Amino acid sequence: MHLSRRTLLGSGAAAMLAAAITGCSSRSEDSGGNATMIVPFAPGGGSDQSGRALADGLEQALGNSISVENVQGGSGAIGYSTFLGMHGDSSQLLATETAMMVLPLTQDVRFSYRDFTPIFKAGDDYTLVVTRPDAPYADAAELVRAARERSVLVGVSGATSLDEIVFSLIEKDQDMRFDRVPYESGGEVLAALLGGHVEAASLNPSEVIGQLASGDLRALCALTPERFEAEALRDIPTGREQGIDVAFAQFRGVIAPGGITDQQRERWIEAAREYARTDAYRSYLEENYMVEEPLFGEDFGPYLDRYHDDLAEALS
Amino acid sequence: MIENLAVGFSASLSPENLLWCLIGVVVGTVIGMLPGLGATTGIAILIPLTLGMDPLTALIMLAGIYYGCQYGSTISAVLIATPGDANAVSTVIDGYAMARNGRAGAALAISAIGSFVAAIVSVVLLATLAGPIADLAIGFGPAENFAIMVFAMATIVAFSGADIRKGLMMAGLGIALSTVGVAMGFTTARFTGGSVNLLGGLDFVVVMIGIFAIGEVLSQISAGGAEPIRARFRDMLITRKELRQASPAIARGTGIGFVFGSLPGAGSTLASFLAYGVEKSVSKTPERFGKGAIQGVAAPESANNSAANANFIPTLSLGIPGGSTTAVLLGAFIMYGVQPGPLLFTEQPTLVWGLITSFFIGNVILLVLNLPLAPAFAQILRLPYNHLYPFIIFFSLIGAFAVAGNTFGLIVVLVASALGFCLKKFGYPSAPLILGLVLGPMTEKALVQTSAFGRGDLSILLQSPVAMTILILAVVLAAAPILSRSLRERARRKRDLETAAEASAAEREPDHDSQPSR
Repeated sequence: MHLSRRTLLGSGAAAMLAAAITGCSSRSEDSGGNATMIVPFAPGGGSDQSGRALADGLEQALGNSISVENVQGGSGAIGYSTFLGMHGDSSQLLATETAMMVLPLTQDVRFSYRDFTPIFKAGDDYTLVVTRPDAPYADAAELVRAARERSVLVGVSGATSLDEIVFSLIEKDQDMRFDRVPYESGGEVLAALLGGHVEAASLNPSEVIGQLASGDLRALCALTPERFEAEALRDIPTGREQGIDVAFAQFRGVIAPGGITDQQRERWIEAAREYARTDAYRSYLEENYMVEEPLFGEDFGPYLDRYHDDLAEALS
Repeated sequence: MIENLAVGFSASLSPENLLWCLIGVVVGTVIGMLPGLGATTGIAILIPLTLGMDPLTALIMLAGIYYGCQYGSTISAVLIATPGDANAVSTVIDGYAMARNGRAGAALAISAIGSFVAAIVSVVLLATLAGPIADLAIGFGPAENFAIMVFAMATIVAFSGADIRKGLMMAGLGIALSTVGVAMGFTTARFTGGSVNLLGGLDFVVVMIGIFAIGEVLSQISAGGAEPIRARFRDMLITRKELRQASPAIARGTGIGFVFGSLPGAGSTLASFLAYGVEKSVSKTPERFGKGAIQGVAAPESANNSAANANFIPTLSLGIPGGSTTAVLLGAFIMYGVQPGPLLFTEQPTLVWGLITSFFIGNVILLVLNLPLAPAFAQILRLPYNHLYPFIIFFSLIGAFAVAGNTFGLIVVLVASALGFCLKKFGYPSAPLILGLVLGPMTEKALVQTSAFGRGDLSILLQSPVAMTILILAVVLAAAPILSRSLRERARRKRDLETAAEASAAEREPDHDSQPSR
């Protein structure tokens, strides 16, 4: 009989651990210092990593606790819509990126980026146009030329993802068309490219740096305004150098709900400024090959307006 | 090879790594047991805690969580009909039936043994053939993937129970429900009725928790007086005969799991469903499935473990995620300052081989923990059901909330529970519904990709010999149970006719005798 008692003890311990683990993701209603960073995507992706790094940085700058909560689904729609309902609650933050703009432009959602309070833009995620080493084009200009003559299949990771947007921008700039095969993530596009099912893709440097180093993939161009500074990417010419006037990034940053007081807003902006001075911030950008371009509060807002117009044009 | 293993073991056998390996597999087992909290979420939550650790130690622990989870999810599937993870859905069918027959200990033991065998075989393959297998796997394009999805659909017949029509109806319902939300590659919302919460579709894990876990609780309560299962400790141990019966199933499950685990885009959930379906199709006694056939536990459990390890093949040798959990692990690599990619094996031999050899160690630990614990865990069933079900409901609701991240998940889980209760009451199988819900989006995705790949022309399916072979196998798999059933029917009818003829002949004989006396 002592055996079943031991089992009971075991299940009690399991229950406590479960409570501890699920507790990590439960919302803290207490705004006396503690805050929540909502990540509108699933654990493990680029937005999640970014959200966790930013939460960590702000936490240390402020000296209070910021827990991360993933509210995923609908390509971010559920997270942003939930956030809309937190109007005036300064204990809530959201790890934002391009979906904040893309969703209202393409789907029936009730929020717009103007409903939220911009706090901090941490940096920009640009893409590289990559292909297999044996592909018959030396640079992106030749890829575009090939696509004018025949059908060229490119992989994209969603109907409104960054790679879809940059391919659309190239098409508009060059007045031609690519044929697309849709995938669910950058990882799947990468597998399809390595397997020879698509001819080219536009992926984040951090997704392909290993394959570039091993020679399994070749970069045609970087869709950036200037060349990357990182040593491994320095030799990749920009699209502009090859006559393709496209440089488009996904921004990553932090927003607060709308309707918070100026004082509350300043408190977050101050924390962000402090975080942006740390080594942790620097290494977060370097690890992810992001371009450093921090913007705070007032400057982040006009940036978002410009971005919104560019995006509306790209998606039209 | 030997050299690599030596390097690996000398790294993974350090006291610190051994300790973290143990912690990883135990935490993984617990995470696996909890419905809704799967390996992917568990690992993502724990990554920040590992940032100060040595990368190898951290990865050993995180990987331990991943495969430990495969063992853990079985425990709740067998004991309380609640799959702790999507991979254990097919284990519920026969595992829970075994538990109701008082064989819970045996079900847990065979799943531990099957998982262990599968893990060792797949790690050996991972260590020896990772490169060539990965190259083969990425050769699978949209057309081949679509064929695989059709093949998986063909297993619906195996999950249908006695009445195939009911199974097909349930699968149809599952596929219909899976179309809710925004489909991959498009921006149009389908059947959401304007609800933002439905844009992401119905999460099949939440539906599964409702239908299986709470649905089972409701039907037990409604049936009234579910007796605690009074099995003696001796009955909890696995018998030699059961081991013998399960061995071929373990072998097949391992093979299927390995193949589907190494393909990017297939995954271990699919592998476990297919292993169950194939096992039932090749069985000489398919009628025993669903009533506590040990093969129905051994095959999917071996498959999901084998698939979990095979998932590391594209991850380690190409730097592309094999599934959602390995995608999270790839992210962790970067955070530790290790660049995943094709050069990983040459640039980081200690890390790669340390990690691979830790799979051996972790699985030995899991076997040693799970075999003696199997009968012990099974003792939970001796608790009266009215002490047990509040916990089941509690953990199910927490799980649903954790998966969905909002209260809408609770609404879904409650609706699904009501549905699960009705299905049980009226004798409709629920596994095909989950299968439809899982396969629907995957099949649609493969179809959209195949169409895009052929520029709108689906005849590219005909041009792929691999796809055609898989499609033909799918037809065979779907037809086999129906054919064998009708053949058996015919044989039985013939036998009946013969016996009837004999009987009537025997009846007539006395007639002849009696005739003169008339």
